[in-house]
Amino acid sequence: MIAAGCDVGSLTAEAVILKDGRICASKIIGVRALAALSAQQVMEEALNEAKLCFKDIDLCFSTGYGRYSIDFAKKNISEISCHGLGAFTVNPEIRTVVDIGGQDCKVISIDDAGMVSDFAMNDKCAAGTGRCLEILAKALGVELDQLGRLSQKAKRGVSITNKCSIFMEMEVLYHSYAGKKIPDIAFGINQAVAKRVASLARGIKIREKAAITGGVSKNPGVVSELEKLLGIKFTPLTVDPQIVGALGAAVFAHNELLGAQGRQQLAAG
Amino acid sequence: MSTKLKQIQEIAGAVKNPFLEKAMEQKKPVMGYFCNYVPEELLHAAGFVPYRMRAVGSTGTARGDTYFTAINCSFVRRCFDQVLSGEYDFLAGAIVLNGCDHSRRIYDNWRDAKKSGLPAPEHLFMLVAPHVLRESALERYEKELKKLMQGLEDAYGAKVSSKALKASMDIYQKRHELVCQLYALRSQKIPAITGAEMLSVLMAITAVPVEDANSLLEKLLAEIEGRKAASSDDIRLMLVGGCMEEPEHIALIEENPAVVVADSLCYGARLLRPPQKDEAKEPLAALTRRYLFHPSCPRMINDFDRRKEALFDAFNESGADAIIAEKLMFCDLWGGEIFLLRKEAKERGIPLLGLEREAYGGGEGQIRTRVQAFIEQVQNAKARKQQAANGKEAS
Repeated sequence: MIAAGCDVGSLTAEAVILKDGRICASKIIGVRALAALSAQQVMEEALNEAKLCFKDIDLCFSTGYGRYSIDFAKKNISEISCHGLGAFTVNPEIRTVVDIGGQDCKVISIDDAGMVSDFAMNDKCAAGTGRCLEILAKALGVELDQLGRLSQKAKRGVSITNKCSIFMEMEVLYHSYAGKKIPDIAFGINQAVAKRVASLARGIKIREKAAITGGVSKNPGVVSELEKLLGIKFTPLTVDPQIVGALGAAVFAHNELLGAQGRQQLAAG
Repeated sequence: MSTKLKQIQEIAGAVKNPFLEKAMEQKKPVMGYFCNYVPEELLHAAGFVPYRMRAVGSTGTARGDTYFTAINCSFVRRCFDQVLSGEYDFLAGAIVLNGCDHSRRIYDNWRDAKKSGLPAPEHLFMLVAPHVLRESALERYEKELKKLMQGLEDAYGAKVSSKALKASMDIYQKRHELVCQLYALRSQKIPAITGAEMLSVLMAITAVPVEDANSLLEKLLAEIEGRKAASSDDIRLMLVGGCMEEPEHIALIEENPAVVVADSLCYGARLLRPPQKDEAKEPLAALTRRYLFHPSCPRMINDFDRRKEALFDAFNESGADAIIAEKLMFCDLWGGEIFLLRKEAKERGIPLLGLEREAYGGGEGQIRTRVQAFIEQVQNAKARKQQAANGKEAS
């Protein structure tokens, strides 16, 4: 039984293929101009890895901002539900998921079946998302994926006090012109983004164990600052945290194939 | 689709409509008004066709932004943009109400625009309604209504007799009863009308002469009886908020397995003004009480408890599963209200999703995600409740 999930976001697209409930392939790509093209490409790559073709997929569900444009998906499910179930599938003890993606962040509370019981999502601005980090990394003149590593070398981290991405960018430039060291500014950037996410998380009861997913979860600077601010330790996931949304979509598809009565515990890996 | 519904949607989707044009051909003056505290009956009795101001068809805020700031609500900016583009040049006059600080500025700005030769009707009026709900406020409200009546008489020679007012109240009472029948069809187990359609109906009946509105409602009721506009499995929603005049926004919510079965909106339950128990016999006094004590919005600062009880009563009566409470960006009144409602809903175990949006556009992707996730959350909770109930029965 082959179930698949496809998550097309604002910056990346992911596909996960489950064979009899186990992950047999997953892929991440940068998005293309159209969501449908991103979906097609990422799924083809995942199928190649699994040595399968489109007609082998029994059921595929989509998620993410491009979820409506994916022709080969039979149903679309919100990324909030997918990240919840995806993280729960990897570790059934997870009760809170913090997902920080390209253009939004969500704090998701899940029940003992991996289903969403409450959530909060940024609505007013992009501060606290991958896009904000991207802008600030550019202002600092470093690659986005270097921010986390750089901030770990900080000795006197700067404090970025603005809450708006644009003003944060100006503050980064100010610190840069003032001759502050790059790792110290990188620390300030990660801390500022973590503060925005923590402020959102306060609207939800954080229950442990908690996991962090999405592209920003790969930035250790943001993750460690967020842990400090929330007073928790994120449980590491045994899969790439960026594929958790696509995994959730695939698990929803798998469960539908099994039927509500036939749900089984899935093993990731 | 019902032919009447299609006609109603066409009326709701445009500033002008054939009924209004026919009335104007018959030399009936059209009086634009803002907010639910401007008594339509009074305007009708004075010989006007009351027309609720709207921003329908708005394509931007460029003109509106020359008078309003970017931190004024998008409804006000869009509506005033329409005003300045001449969309409302058919109005004989307009009445602005101190509904909130954003909308009340329309009066000042419109007067100023008029002086500059920009599109404006011959007469503009400001009606000041009390911001509190108590017996002593009745006197002040009635005085303001009398001032408005005098203003209409001075400007147009439109004198309102008690007899004419009573007759107008009877016609509007009929509209009220017909809308109540529609609400009953909407809240039945399988609703006969969706939330998006209902909004179109309520927009349409406030843009045509009331006699035509009543005729449209009667025909619509006959047409949709027995209609199944949703599935019995759909999540039943109550929609709460202030200004909402985009049926497509509700349609976006109803794209999910969900249907809006109840509301507390300006173009919604707040249009219902049932006769009050202790109404005076004299029509103006009765009308004053009816309008002051009708289901209020957060502009009435001392009425939260009554408002909240009415809201949750309507929620329970309609068999709704959850609430979506919406506000326009920069609307402080609804911001505070939703904050309080969230707490009340939590205590009652009612799922509530708060949404912030701009009138006519923006943020569709985020709204879709939020609403879809919320519906999924409510479905999960409902399924678990059902499972628990089944388990209890089995044991």
